[in-house]
Amino acid sequence: MQIWRFILLLLVQGLIFKQIQFADEPWYYLHIFVYPLFTFLLPVKLQNSIVLVLSFIMGLLVDWFYDSPGVHAASLVFTAYLRPLILGILEPYEGYNMNEIPGLKRMGLGWFASYISILMIIHLFFYFSVEAFSFVFIFDIVMNTLFTFTASLFVILLLQYIFSSK
Amino acid sequence: MNSVFQLFIKYGYHLIFIILEIFCFYLIIQYNRVQNEIFFNSSNVYIARLATSTNKMYQYLNIRQVNDSLSRENANLIENLIRIDYINTEIPQLDSAFSQYSIIPAPVCNHTFQLANNHITLCKGRREGIEPNMGVISEKGIVGIVRNVSDNYAHVISLLHSQTRISCAVQSRNTHGNLVWKTMDPQTMILESVPKHQFIAIGDTVVTSGYSTIFPKGIKVGRIEKFEVVPGSNSFEITVKLFQNLSSLPYAYVVKNRFAAEQLKLEEEVKNE
Repeated sequence: MQIWRFILLLLVQGLIFKQIQFADEPWYYLHIFVYPLFTFLLPVKLQNSIVLVLSFIMGLLVDWFYDSPGVHAASLVFTAYLRPLILGILEPYEGYNMNEIPGLKRMGLGWFASYISILMIIHLFFYFSVEAFSFVFIFDIVMNTLFTFTASLFVILLLQYIFSSK
Repeated sequence: MNSVFQLFIKYGYHLIFIILEIFCFYLIIQYNRVQNEIFFNSSNVYIARLATSTNKMYQYLNIRQVNDSLSRENANLIENLIRIDYINTEIPQLDSAFSQYSIIPAPVCNHTFQLANNHITLCKGRREGIEPNMGVISEKGIVGIVRNVSDNYAHVISLLHSQTRISCAVQSRNTHGNLVWKTMDPQTMILESVPKHQFIAIGDTVVTSGYSTIFPKGIKVGRIEKFEVVPGSNSFEITVKLFQNLSSLPYAYVVKNRFAAEQLKLEEEVKNE
């Protein structure tokens, strides 16, 4: 299940969403990133080290499509590192079940949306910071993060609805 | 051992995170042009700033030695001042003799010491009062004679020149001769035409005789290293080791003789009679 999601997200990201680029202001700030969903949807109780390594592999393969060695990998590893912290903050009253996937169907739209939003904001801000590599470009970093966050959140929720209804 | 392993499973992901991030940033800086340029340029900026402040610090470290040398120099100057005051008050009639010469300090711009005829260029010229045929000395000895001057530069014939002939005396021996350079060694010169009946010894100091208008009397030149009688000649050939090492000369002083014109004019009149 996880391996199929891995391959599917990688190919969707690298072959389809990579093509979405706009030339006019302000839409060139808009990109769509769905591959972090793989890290978000790994089982809650999975070893943190394994989450990190899987995220690293995912990031490197996305970088392969994007011709930017290390940039996606660095940000996805960072996101994966903060995932246990966010999961701890958002932990429901009754706790998580073993091998539970923190998906939309099981956790509900409210919980899932806030979980995805926090991690996505972290991921995108880190990604665009590393891409610009200097906080001189802070305006571009923030604009990129906001536009991409809105679009990506929409696409991720859509994907979750489509695949969860099966 | 088991507990260490468990500890690693529980907290090792921090370590793995750091390792993976370091590897990622290595990739980023190594293989992405924009990030690479920013990284190396900004690090260069920081390193340059660091080097500047380090340099400043090192200057402070040296400040004790700089202070020492400055105060030594000050002491020397004060000593000289006292001596001049003393001479002036004790023997007032020497006043005119002392004011006969004035000294113009001049940095050395350029100099040679390995050729057969060596020259020195001083960074001061006519504007500072330097004129042809003035003597040039340093704190240790004589250096040469001014040949040409422009507004800002003076061209000096070095002692190390085949045409140099300077009237010199052996101190406290009441004898004198001409100092010439034929050894091709920048450290030594030859004192010629000292009659062979005179008494001299190795180690005697050679000073200027003051018989010309160029150098004042009694400026130290060098020390007698060896002497011999040239066969078939009536005089000694004395090898003099110079006090001033002419191969390194950062600064020189031009001696201005205020009465030179007067003396030369008088001598000219006698000749014409």
